[in-house]
Amino acid sequence: MRPGSPASVLPSPGVAAVSAPDMRTASALTAARLALARDLQLAFRRPSQLVQPLAFFAIVTLLFPLAISPELSRLKFVAPGVLWAAALLASLLALEFLFRDDASDGTLEQYALSGQSLTGLMFAKTVAHWLLTGLPLALTAPLAAVSLGAPATAMPGVLLAVAVGTVPLSLIGSIGAALTLGMKRSGALLSLLTLPLSLPVLIFGARATQLAIGGASILAPVELLGALAVLAVTLAPLAAAAAVRISLE
Amino acid sequence: MTWTWFHRLGSPPYVYGLAARLTPWFAWPAALLIAAGLVGGLVLAPPDYQQGDGYRILYVHAPSAWMSLMVYTTMALAAAVGLIWRIKVAHAVAASCAPIGASFTLAALVTGALWGQPMWGTFWQWDPRLTSELILFFLYLGYMGLRAGLEDTQRADRASAVLAVVGVVNVPIIHYSVTWWNSLHQAPSIMRLAKPTMPAVMLVPLLAMLLGFTLLFGALLLVRLRGEVLARERTASWIREAVSA
Amino acid sequence: MREFLDMGGYAAFVWPAYAVTFGVIVLNIVWAQRLLRRSRAEAQRRLAMRGEAP
Repeated sequence: MRPGSPASVLPSPGVAAVSAPDMRTASALTAARLALARDLQLAFRRPSQLVQPLAFFAIVTLLFPLAISPELSRLKFVAPGVLWAAALLASLLALEFLFRDDASDGTLEQYALSGQSLTGLMFAKTVAHWLLTGLPLALTAPLAAVSLGAPATAMPGVLLAVAVGTVPLSLIGSIGAALTLGMKRSGALLSLLTLPLSLPVLIFGARATQLAIGGASILAPVELLGALAVLAVTLAPLAAAAAVRISLE
Repeated sequence: MTWTWFHRLGSPPYVYGLAARLTPWFAWPAALLIAAGLVGGLVLAPPDYQQGDGYRILYVHAPSAWMSLMVYTTMALAAAVGLIWRIKVAHAVAASCAPIGASFTLAALVTGALWGQPMWGTFWQWDPRLTSELILFFLYLGYMGLRAGLEDTQRADRASAVLAVVGVVNVPIIHYSVTWWNSLHQAPSIMRLAKPTMPAVMLVPLLAMLLGFTLLFGALLLVRLRGEVLARERTASWIREAVSA
Repeated sequence: MREFLDMGGYAAFVWPAYAVTFGVIVLNIVWAQRLLRRSRAEAQRRLAMRGEAP
């Protein structure tokens, strides 16, 4: 296998480590692409890991009609909040597997030592994470919204809002996950670190969903969500890389 | 010339001694200003025409809220300095700030609620300022929780420093989004003081309290810093002279 | 004096607010001094253990 070729970097069955020389010689873009491909490949070997956050999202959504009222007309008012609270919690759950396996099998250290920009690799990992968690959530959310009384016309709006909103969630979450790397039972602490920073996403996202349900234009809050996403893309991978280095020292 | 001063501030024994000498210069003026502010705010200032004597909570609520933000910013700044220049004393400063800031945030929340009850008719309101303050409280708790959860001091210092810097970037965003959210959902229920511009007799005690609390923070920080520095430098040779003093 | 304590009817809110704030101030002072005292004691203990007591 040629050095730098995808096959030599992607783990063969039973071997999880990334080959360091391949990462070292690859260009930044190639390295990022390889890290992304690796994460996606590994994730599809463990489908349960992908399904669990979605199942959690579905169950939490189910809680509210049972707790409040089966009447769709009443649920419609709480739908935006319930949807986004559930999405936030589901994405928190999904953060667990962002670094866990890479930290335990030494891949993360390989990344840090590879000479490649750790920021770029963090960005690649977070993109993979969003594709694996945020995007499925975005595709499931319209159904959840309808189950909570939203009209079918709201579905595209909900999809867009959740798709854009989960981007900063994955990015902000990656910082918390990197800071608490290797800590046992860090779930509660990770939530405490990530949730306050994610609240603007919740606020704008819920507003967008509310407008979508009401049939109004969701442009303004979605633009704000987009701004948050851009800010997160610019700053979060840097902070996550710094946090990973600190945690690995 | 300036760099010598900067480098000396990075030296734990120097800082330990300096902090001891500086503390009275913060503590006594703080006590005087707070006492003066109390007299001015509770006795000399007249009742507000709308809120009567109830508005006097301002004289403890506003300084507490000011403290919560100022201390967080100081903490983030010290953390950034420690992270960038790898100065341990800066990390000690950040660590010392957190409990002070968190407790004053709590004071701001409680005094805000106590002010809210007679004015709004309810102890809690999702008013933008109180909501932002509550979120700030969680930011402090997260910082302290992260520090507590990491045993290695160096990792704790640097990890919590990253968190503090990320947090401080978020504070204006959170404040903006909460204010925006609040303006959508309810008529602005800002705590009104009779006129937008306060007369001097009401304003001066407020300024005295704000300044007094700030100096108090300085004193508290200096005392805590000495404790922190000492705890971190357990086996250093300068300790012997320092503790026998 | 009565009027002062009564705070125009708002006494139940004003005085607890002041009490809480000053409670926090006192707590901070005590806590900070306790931390310093403990650190000093700990440092002295360690020096004594190593036979380098001042």
